[in-house]
Amino acid sequence: MNGWTLTATVALGAGVGATVWGVATGPLRRRVVAQNLSSALACPGLLLLAQGYGRPAYIDLALVLALLGPVGTLVFARLLADDLAEDPPHAWGVTFAVAGYGAVVVLVLCAVTGPGRAMVKLLVIGALLIGGNLVASRALSGGFARSRRG
Amino acid sequence: MDDPLIVVVLLLVAATATAAVAVRDPVRQALVLSVLGVALALLFTVAQAPDVGLSQLAVGSALTPLLVMLSVRKVRRRQGDGKGRAP
Repeated sequence: MNGWTLTATVALGAGVGATVWGVATGPLRRRVVAQNLSSALACPGLLLLAQGYGRPAYIDLALVLALLGPVGTLVFARLLADDLAEDPPHAWGVTFAVAGYGAVVVLVLCAVTGPGRAMVKLLVIGALLIGGNLVASRALSGGFARSRRG
Repeated sequence: MDDPLIVVVLLLVAATATAAVAVRDPVRQALVLSVLGVALALLFTVAQAPDVGLSQLAVGSALTPLLVMLSVRKVRRRQGDGKGRAP
């Protein structure tokens, strides 16, 4: 147990725990936001775990999650569009807070890794994570509905 | 060696799985199932099985919710047709 895994324990326990609470209770708009944030919170946790275990290969898990998490949210945004249109979720504060947390984790890990291929991979994961999260949040709040109809 | 981490992730999986059973609406169950997929992938990673975690992520976070949501959509549409034809 080192500092990285300790940080991962606290971040996963608090962050993913909160999203489990959010996705299990409340109105539908809160649940979709919590589902979106669960992947955005688990991905930095996986990066921290890879660093804590000293196994760079575990970063692939974070890469797959950064790719597929927003895809899952887009599935919900597309198929629940009618239910969400009457009561669209607006949770930009939480979304940007989680995106900032992901950016901080990626930047700290980049500083530890030093320049090289591993750092490029980390930056790609960070860009995918934050970009995908913001796109999925915008799709959930109905930002693309107008362009789809038009 | 990493006992607190394993305990935390196991508690997450237990809480999410209980929520997936307790929620009654299929649409909301699909949302909880998606989070359960992520939590299970975390558990496999913590248990040093990242290959299992990879496949769990691929299946659990996108494919299972997609299947559930498509089925719900089809059933609802058929029910809507039935109501439309009944009167």
